[in-house]
Amino acid sequence: MAYLKVEGLAKRYGDTKIIDSLTLSVNPQETMVVMGPSGCGKTTLLLMILGAIKADQGEITINNRVVNNLPIEEREIGYVPQDFGLFPHLTVSENIGFGLRVRTYPEAEKNRIIHALLETVDLKDMGERKPRQLSGGQKQRVALARALAVNPSLLLLDEPLSSVDEATKEHVRRGLKDTLTQTKVTTVCVVHDPEDAFMLGDRIAVMHNGRIIQCDTPKQLLDAPNDSVVRKLIASMYVLGRDS
Amino acid sequence: MPSDKTQIAIYSLSFFFIAYMLVSLFYLYVAVEESFNQVVAALFDTEVLGALTISVASAFLVGGLAVAIGVPVAYFMAFKEFRGKETVEMLLIDMPQTFPPVTEGLVYLLMLGRFGLAYTFAAVVIAKFYVSAPFTLSFLTRRFRELKGDGYDVIARSLGARTKHVLNWVMIPLSARDLLGGFSLTWARAMGELAATLAFAGAIPWRTEIIPTLVFLTSRNAPAIAMAASVIAETLSLVALFSFRLIARERKWLT
Repeated sequence: MAYLKVEGLAKRYGDTKIIDSLTLSVNPQETMVVMGPSGCGKTTLLLMILGAIKADQGEITINNRVVNNLPIEEREIGYVPQDFGLFPHLTVSENIGFGLRVRTYPEAEKNRIIHALLETVDLKDMGERKPRQLSGGQKQRVALARALAVNPSLLLLDEPLSSVDEATKEHVRRGLKDTLTQTKVTTVCVVHDPEDAFMLGDRIAVMHNGRIIQCDTPKQLLDAPNDSVVRKLIASMYVLGRDS
Repeated sequence: MPSDKTQIAIYSLSFFFIAYMLVSLFYLYVAVEESFNQVVAALFDTEVLGALTISVASAFLVGGLAVAIGVPVAYFMAFKEFRGKETVEMLLIDMPQTFPPVTEGLVYLLMLGRFGLAYTFAAVVIAKFYVSAPFTLSFLTRRFRELKGDGYDVIARSLGARTKHVLNWVMIPLSARDLLGGFSLTWARAMGELAATLAFAGAIPWRTEIIPTLVFLTSRNAPAIAMAASVIAETLSLVALFSFRLIARERKWLT
């Protein structure tokens, strides 16, 4: 039984179809990577699942509950935007604890969760730093910890590796994969880089012109791409000689 | 030196313009020097002190009200989409700055005079508020739009935040400089407002008479008093603007 179900989702701005009768199912504890070129509608899809953009048509179901009319704050979705969106006036610990503060957790319990998460994302001694004192990779990990702190039912990651410099990307990517495996939270992750997609995804949904044109495991995608667009998008993976 | 005539013309014009504006600003202090003793004596004139008290008190009240009302209204203008929003924004922010203040004073006299508000301290605040509050509203609306563009409200809400959390924990702290900027400009504009206040509140000493009305009423018959009041008004507005600049430059305020 799918945990997240998106059925017949559509969104248009004026005459342009951004999302076109899109259907996608994500299993519990699965990391679904949505991959596609810039402008194919990936971020719009993510923001519609989050509730920041209203769908023109279609239904979004999380854990058997239709969430179309629920406001963002009631969807219990963790969200990491592309630029990580850390609150610049708050420290790392305060950023991570934001959702716990909203839920009025007792101070001791809040601190315990923040400490545990700082360890999980390998930022133990950085709790008192401000976001401007962090590198791209560190910011990503703080944003991830902040989203995980409130124990979300679903995690949405928008290009989590695009603001990370090349030198540390491999390390950050592995760290992200480990955290996702460890926390077992159902995740939808949007990327444009096939290498990121193949490393992070249990399954990969290839998106083109507002639709999912193939959704398979990385291995199946490499072995049997069902469309020339898919083949072109993952061409670099053949060159690299990688599989899942 | 190259003979770039256009550049020389631009530099000369700019120099004369800057000099003209500075002389306009500081000539008052030069003029005061000529009758220094009389002006110093007038600084302690009871009517000047009364006007100063009413001016400063009403300007602070107007600044406070502008912030208290500006925050929710700016949030509404930044986040709520509705038909005719641009027109409403123009009427709220641009119009009060171009509308003839004396006419606004008359409007209030006709509209609120029947409720016994004319020629009271409340009338001073109401008249000044219309003309000055748009500065705060304009600063805050622009800043809230920027923050919305950065997606901070969506992130906060994804963490469970309700509107009160979004406002108190994210939007307001990240708008501290704009809040201060809006407040100081509102305050300075409220200090200088004359026509709307004179029309709606009159000039009753220690009740509705403010520095600008005092200057206006005494400039012909008691120039020393007018000059003393003007020196106070100008110095206060200079101090307010320079303080704002200083604090705004201090980036630690923001993050």
